[in-house]
Amino acid sequence: MRDVKAGSSEYITLVSNDGFEFKIQRSSACISGMIKRMLDPNGGFSESTTNVCKFSEINGIVLEKVCEYFYYNEKHKDSRDVPDMDFPPELCLELLMAADFLDT
Amino acid sequence: MATRGTRKIRPPRRGLNNGEMDFEQTWAILASAFTQIHEKQASKLSYEELYRNAYKIVLKKKGDELYLRVAEFERDWLGSEIQRRIHKELPPQLMNALQGRSSAGSAGDNQVRKQGERFLRQLKLAWEDHQTCMSMLTDVLMYMDRVYCTDTRRPSIFTTAMSLFRDCILRSHVRGDDSWPDICGTLNHVILDQIRMERDGDFIDKHLIKVNVYMLEGLYDSHHEVEEEKLYLTSFEYEFLASSAEFYRALGDRLLKESDAGQYCRETRNRIDEENDRCRSTLSESTTPKIQKVVEDELIRYRMKDLIESESGVRFMITNERHDDLALVFDLEARVDPRKPELTKALQKIILEMGTNLNDAAQVGAAAEVPEDKAKAPADRLVNQQTVAALKWVEDVLELKDKFDAIWKQSFQSDQTIHTAIMRSTAEFINSHPRCAEYMSLFIDDNMKKGIKGKTELEIEVLLDKAIVLLRYVQEKDVFELYYKKHLGKRLLMGRSLSIDVEKQMISRMKMELGNNFTAKLEGMFKDMTLSEELTAGYKGYVARLGDADPRRIDLAINVLTSMTWPVETTNSAPDDARESRLKTIYPPAVERIRQGFENYYKEKYSGRMLDWKGNMGTADVKVTFPKVPSKDGFKERRHELNVSTYAMLILLLFNDLPSGASLSLEEIQARTNIPTNELVRNLQSLAVAPKTRILLKEPMSKDIKDTDKFFFNEGFMSKFLKVKIGIVSAGNRIENDRERVETEKKNNDSRGYAIEAAVVRIMKQRKELSHQQLVTETITQLNSQFKPDVNMIKKRIESLIEREYLERIEDSPSSSYRYLA
Repeated sequence: MRDVKAGSSEYITLVSNDGFEFKIQRSSACISGMIKRMLDPNGGFSESTTNVCKFSEINGIVLEKVCEYFYYNEKHKDSRDVPDMDFPPELCLELLMAADFLDT
Repeated sequence: MATRGTRKIRPPRRGLNNGEMDFEQTWAILASAFTQIHEKQASKLSYEELYRNAYKIVLKKKGDELYLRVAEFERDWLGSEIQRRIHKELPPQLMNALQGRSSAGSAGDNQVRKQGERFLRQLKLAWEDHQTCMSMLTDVLMYMDRVYCTDTRRPSIFTTAMSLFRDCILRSHVRGDDSWPDICGTLNHVILDQIRMERDGDFIDKHLIKVNVYMLEGLYDSHHEVEEEKLYLTSFEYEFLASSAEFYRALGDRLLKESDAGQYCRETRNRIDEENDRCRSTLSESTTPKIQKVVEDELIRYRMKDLIESESGVRFMITNERHDDLALVFDLEARVDPRKPELTKALQKIILEMGTNLNDAAQVGAAAEVPEDKAKAPADRLVNQQTVAALKWVEDVLELKDKFDAIWKQSFQSDQTIHTAIMRSTAEFINSHPRCAEYMSLFIDDNMKKGIKGKTELEIEVLLDKAIVLLRYVQEKDVFELYYKKHLGKRLLMGRSLSIDVEKQMISRMKMELGNNFTAKLEGMFKDMTLSEELTAGYKGYVARLGDADPRRIDLAINVLTSMTWPVETTNSAPDDARESRLKTIYPPAVERIRQGFENYYKEKYSGRMLDWKGNMGTADVKVTFPKVPSKDGFKERRHELNVSTYAMLILLLFNDLPSGASLSLEEIQARTNIPTNELVRNLQSLAVAPKTRILLKEPMSKDIKDTDKFFFNEGFMSKFLKVKIGIVSAGNRIENDRERVETEKKNNDSRGYAIEAAVVRIMKQRKELSHQQLVTETITQLNSQFKPDVNMIKKRIESLIEREYLERIEDSPSSSYRYLA
């Protein structure tokens, strides 16, 4: 994981298409390859300066689950025999697509 | 993400890919964004939007199209905008200069240099921009790379874009003119040009070049990104090495002509370091070994021979003690070849030459005055001169050896190969001197008698070490032993040795160096000396106990020598005296009584031993009273104590019984003493001819002694000293004259013969049967520590052993072989 530039905040904001905002630890969010690149200061896109990521294709419910997964992943990064995370089956497909989109 | 449960999975309420997507429209968004990125105005762009658009295109199976469009976009951008910017920096003047088509003066040179730097800077800029932009594009197109490129096994868009840079920029020609090299070639030229300037002492912008080199390292010749096809390797490095070789070839030529060898070495060293630095700071580390090899080849490998043999080469350095320079030469040659053949060869040659010079000088010194002085000067002086020459030779050899040892330690890092070479050449020239063994022994003799006087133990230690070191080089150890025995014998008997301790140390060192065998006899000599002291003391006690206390008795100190251990010539005079020496010397009664007394004492102690009295080797203290002569404090009897040889004592005693003024002729003296003629002549010479010790007067006065000469007691003898030592002419150890040498050689050959026979018998006893060739080889190996046996001599000895039926020939063997007969 690339080092975050000094001075950039530790937390970032993810915004869903229906307006929910999730403040989340930068390191956890960067599990997603897409978010990581989006925030990469070397890339110089607008998101890297505002530290706000708007997702016009993902709704609040899915994004919440995504955030949950980020933390779940970060927590169990180095451990084994991890208990499975619970996903409501009705969200499965949308989550899968979001995962593909986010490169998670 | 894993899911669990068996409930029905609902379709997504709102797919990410819902709604129609117009490719052209979406691409237009992307393309304009890309332009902004290239123009460095990306901060307004939303990554999410761009990513989403690219994502959609790929999702709609238009990845192929997107990929091509992006490539197309980049080709356009590079081919027009960037190419234009770079070509602008390549004015014809620069191109001409790089091609060597115009003669650039120093002013032009400077301009070309500036232009070159501008070109490099522009190229660097273009490359850096391209990289940043492409990494941003790759970020945006991540989904395409991940899904489309992986599925269809296409190189990532980044790789493609890098090859585009290669094709559109580096492979492009300025103004479309094919007669000029492409940008890549131009780049090489510019860099090489800059390096040339740096080699000539200019400062250049190393970082600028480094970045460009880095670019070449990041690009590949084709789209297979294999290590060997880096543009750096395929395009630049080869030219760099070639031009460097050319540069250093010229430099080597110039240096050899213009500067001395030391400077050449220093320059070479600097150049090598410089090239190392250059690789690190300007080019690529991977080139370091290659350019090193080029420099080493051009400046060292192909030049070493010329360098070493040049006027200011190794010989000059050695003569002038240029140790640092020698170290440089060593260091340089060690770089190209761990065996250092040129240096070793040169060293050996120089040592041999210097050694041969010493040998010649010694021979000249020894033979110097032979022709003119033959008649006039006594032979003794000539011999002394030769002795001095011999001593000088040894000292010179030592000095030479010290010199090279110092060089070896200081300059050659105590290198083993060089050491062997030095050793070998030293041994070679030492052994090429026919009398080296004799000279060495003489050298030790001289030091034992005079050299160690007033020296500290440490200094003596060093001296002994030196002697041993030299001895190591001598091949004919048996000859050395012979001489050493002879010289040692004289030292011991005449009490000329300054320190018996040092003598013994010497022997023990030889023992360590050459083994027990070698020193057994020498040690025997010391044992004899100790035994003799005991005998003398014992005899004194014996006489005292007999109660025969006669105050006028003569004190006797005796040395009993074992005839086998002591060198024969000290106990036996020259062969033509053999007849005379068989006649028993007549001792006057006073002496004869004591002689008998001791003989009785000795026979009582050891039965079955023969005592043979050697008058020529003894000395005697004689108290002489000279008649009164007038002197400033009135008439006075003068007493002197004369230290003379035993024979001289006998002669003087004859005059005891003679009335004052009477004379004896040589023949009479001989008849009454039976002293061998040559000994007699020598003693009379020192008694009657030597100016300071003229106890006898001779008639007629001349230097030579004739049979008819008459001798008188010199009543007017004058001396300032109470004790007068009357030396026998040429009693000291000195170089042998030719006759003595012939004899020594003969003796030596004899003893070698015995040694060979002994070795042959030893070998055959063990092996029973052996071919001739093998026998000879083994014999040589066995005897090598003592001397180098002559093959012919071995053959003769084998013949003789066969005659005496120690061996027999094996009749029906294909090669000649022998069998041992028990």
